[in-house]
Amino acid sequence: MKNNGTHKLKKGFLGVFMNLILWIFSLSCIFPIIWMFYSSLKEKRVFNADIIGLPSEPTLLNYTRILSNPDYHLGASIWNSARTTLLSIAMIVAFSFIVGYILSRVRFKLNRVLYVMFLMGMLIPIHSLLVPIYIVFQKCGISNQWFTLLLPYVSFGLPMGIFLVEGFVKTVPVDLEEAAAIDGSSFSHTLWTIIFPICRPILVTVAIIQVFSCWNEFSFALVLLKDVGLQTVPLALTQFKGQFASDYPKQMAAMLITMAPILVLYFAFSKQIINGMVAGAVKG
Amino acid sequence: MHMLNAIRPKNRTIIAYLAIPVVMFVFTVFVPLVTALVYSFFEWKGGPVKTFNGLSNYIQLFQDGTFWEAFGHNIYLVIACIIGQVGIAFVLVMMVNSKLVFCKTIHRTFGFFPSTIAAVCIGLIWNMIYHNKYGILNWFLEAIGRKDLCQVWLNNSDIVMLLVTIPLIWQYIGYYMVIILSAIASISTDIFESSEIDGANGFQKAVYITLPLIKNTMLVCITLCIAGNMKAFDNIYVMTKGGPGTSSMVMAMYGYQVSFGQSNMGYGSCISVGIFVLSLLVIGGSQMLINYVTREKEAA
Repeated sequence: MKNNGTHKLKKGFLGVFMNLILWIFSLSCIFPIIWMFYSSLKEKRVFNADIIGLPSEPTLLNYTRILSNPDYHLGASIWNSARTTLLSIAMIVAFSFIVGYILSRVRFKLNRVLYVMFLMGMLIPIHSLLVPIYIVFQKCGISNQWFTLLLPYVSFGLPMGIFLVEGFVKTVPVDLEEAAAIDGSSFSHTLWTIIFPICRPILVTVAIIQVFSCWNEFSFALVLLKDVGLQTVPLALTQFKGQFASDYPKQMAAMLITMAPILVLYFAFSKQIINGMVAGAVKG
Repeated sequence: MHMLNAIRPKNRTIIAYLAIPVVMFVFTVFVPLVTALVYSFFEWKGGPVKTFNGLSNYIQLFQDGTFWEAFGHNIYLVIACIIGQVGIAFVLVMMVNSKLVFCKTIHRTFGFFPSTIAAVCIGLIWNMIYHNKYGILNWFLEAIGRKDLCQVWLNNSDIVMLLVTIPLIWQYIGYYMVIILSAIASISTDIFESSEIDGANGFQKAVYITLPLIKNTMLVCITLCIAGNMKAFDNIYVMTKGGPGTSSMVMAMYGYQVSFGQSNMGYGSCISVGIFVLSLLVIGGSQMLINYVTREKEAA
């Protein structure tokens, strides 16, 4: 009996300990956001006097100042990021679907060649392309344009998308297309009206993975864009850091504004997003 | 399975569908690779003059202490993150899966959250945490009465690598946690139940049952970790730009500095080729090592 008692005690202690550790970890993951949020409601001198306390007179001054001053380009950068992200995703989803489907279903001479080429795209260390892409784009006169970033974002996102679609299409019975063909449906008609809806779940996964990588991408934007008006969000933030090195509340307000879309998206669809990202990571 | 030849689309249709993505992909991935290879044999300072100088860029690269130091830092990041991210993630997953732990979904949602934030933001946030005057770290040390430990953290070249690694580890623990969790969820619960009947404790279950069963997922995690850290750039750019001096330089940062800071495009191309080869070697080498180690275990 006594043995059982100590066992229970041990178990209880272990339980408290494990819960505690996990809560410390989980809270550490969102604490920075919370700290930034309430600190961004302070004025600079209030923050500098007490960095951790809650604001006694919360103010939206930092937000209104940032958003009303066109020199900061924050609104423009959000628009640039949103446009680049949405167009990239649309292209990645469409191209992944087309290429993945054709590679999986249609027999033609270059099928294996293209397959290996896109496979290599997944293995190539993309960061080694940073300087070379700049050189090539500069030569062709396509750097520093509104569409410049679409090329690398779509190209780097394609391989994983193609392989996710290719794997998915393999599980779809080919009878479906054959039946459609017998009913007189053309290749394109079958592709878009029958196969596309079936592939929706995997295409949603592809889109989820790419939303975050496009919205957050920094290094290629840094190298390929010079024009302040074309800057994406991460670039604008690094500029901001230079301008307001010592004005933390303002920096925090700017970061929160640019994170807002991601935050809303994440906490609204966290389950789908987590599952999608995991599926992409493991299968890709 | 391929479709019947009878309903196979015409070549024209296939070409029409594939042309744009394939051309785009080749143009942005393979053309730059070849370009880098070509220019790596030239002396080119970004201007109109390019002079062929054979292998001298490569000789310089081999003797370039900064480049190899940067490579060493990439390896440091890889090792620290395999232990920190995948290791800690595994331990936390074992805890989350315990019957004694509540609010599992919250831990999953909160833990995963940092990995969805831009590396630039993470870097900026940790800049604020490390800041000597307004940072939480120094505030905390002061609060516990260790003001003597306060310092300008990111200026200390002895520990700067550790300081830039911590945010990276912290950011991705939750990401790996979720991957490992989903692998464990696919293991049949019978195995755990029968091991409990046999009297296995939590630690034994984790090491002797769970770990071998999710071996492949762990290998995927390690591979992701290696690939992810060979390309470290954003955090470093925001936090230290490779400094102080070169004490937190990584390969991509060095390539960027040489190419754009010194506008030495010829040598920058050569560094890019170096990064390409070394990254492939490290990723390929680690794969071979993993295969070798796991094969031996199976034979034994």
